[in-house]
Amino acid sequence: MFKSGILRELFDKLFGKSWPMWLGGILLAVLNILLFVIKYPWGASGGYINIGQNIYQTLGMSNLGTSVPINLHTVAILNIIIVLGAFISSLLSKEFGIRIAPIGELVKGLLGGALMGIGATVGVGCTTGGFFTGVPALSGGALFLTLGFMIGTFAALRYLLWEMEALPNISMGKSFTFLSGNGKNMAWQRWLGWILIVIVLFIFNAYTSKNTPLMKIVGWHVIFGLILGIILQRSRYCIVRAFREPFMTGESSAPVAIIISVLVGLVGFTVIKYFGVGNAGELATRAIELKSVYPNFWLRALIGGFIFGLGMTIAGGCAVGTLWRAGEGHVKLWMSILGFLIMAPISKKFIVPGIVKILPESLRKQMYLPDYLGYTGAVILLLVILLLWYVFVKWNEKTGKCSAL
Amino acid sequence: MQVDQTLDCKGLSCPMPIIKLSKTLKKQMKSGEVLEMIGTDPGSKTDVPAWCEKTGNTLLESKEEDGAFIFYIKKK
Repeated sequence: MFKSGILRELFDKLFGKSWPMWLGGILLAVLNILLFVIKYPWGASGGYINIGQNIYQTLGMSNLGTSVPINLHTVAILNIIIVLGAFISSLLSKEFGIRIAPIGELVKGLLGGALMGIGATVGVGCTTGGFFTGVPALSGGALFLTLGFMIGTFAALRYLLWEMEALPNISMGKSFTFLSGNGKNMAWQRWLGWILIVIVLFIFNAYTSKNTPLMKIVGWHVIFGLILGIILQRSRYCIVRAFREPFMTGESSAPVAIIISVLVGLVGFTVIKYFGVGNAGELATRAIELKSVYPNFWLRALIGGFIFGLGMTIAGGCAVGTLWRAGEGHVKLWMSILGFLIMAPISKKFIVPGIVKILPESLRKQMYLPDYLGYTGAVILLLVILLLWYVFVKWNEKTGKCSAL
Repeated sequence: MQVDQTLDCKGLSCPMPIIKLSKTLKKQMKSGEVLEMIGTDPGSKTDVPAWCEKTGNTLLESKEEDGAFIFYIKKK
């Protein structure tokens, strides 16, 4: 498009090489703080649940349905536009391609997605709403979700390594790649990317021109989805990696990137919650404090996190990692989305009530850390945990004590 | 370049290519032998060089060809 010059250089900087993951982490955390200011911090599983419920509703199974249409559900819209944004980003960077994995991998995608659908509803939250947002939101349950993600990831990684030895055929077999951006005659892909950006801007305008508070908020989620999708794809931001890599290759870049983003989020969220930014009255401030703090402390979070951790590691992407990889054209992750959409509403309707019945209320409390430790104590606790995690991943990177590859 | 073995990772996404790469080099190849790895995951562009550097294996060459990413790795 631009043959040479300053704009060409800028374009190559953005869409040539991948961005470092820590840069993606900082940008995502800043956007998350802004999402909090607009309405509610970032989450993903709520969007999957809503889209799944709408599909069941359309199929006439209204007992699994919902009355909130997709186009008015901010998280559902955010999810859809993140896929589109990652698609645009991969077109512009010539990394798009429809990649059909061997059939065994596609089945793993479907199963991984289904497990994520169960885990996110049981534990109330995925790695985004429950961890990336939940930990800075000073939620006690988020810490146990995180622990569950780690244990689940570790277990599923052991499975993957075993599978490679015992059942190597699962990941072998016929695979196909179409429309790859670095193939011949693929210049049209970049043009398509630009056209899609214009279309997203038109969608934004269609919402905001309605001029009601809800429409404006949804409209801004369209813009945020586009930016998030691009950042996620360019920095290949992957929370599975953060939990998996210490036990796989031992590399610390992903865990460190995630620690940095939690730190940035922590500063912003604490300020918003401490001052009750956005609202004046006493009651409203309490509501802001409890945003992204779910009734899952502690066993409920641990169980759900474990199931989710299994799923995301088998699928090769958490709820959000699945979205951007799907946009990049990995059909395995399309299957993962499908599994998530099918299972999340079923789990919410049939599995979660059972769990709630079995677990006494003391094992699924809505636990806001500052209620027990004060703001200072809560922040110090999180800083200590993050520091310990940092020391562990760096120590392990040097010694390789815990890594399998 | 003399290639001793080829590893097909086409269609696979993270983390499968790296797990396969590691297993193949460790279990099936001798020191000094060269592995040709073919994949289609854009993540490999950064993952494979990073893994080689971490493990001390030598990435001799990498190229992009019609939808695929090809790496030549010499075992330590």
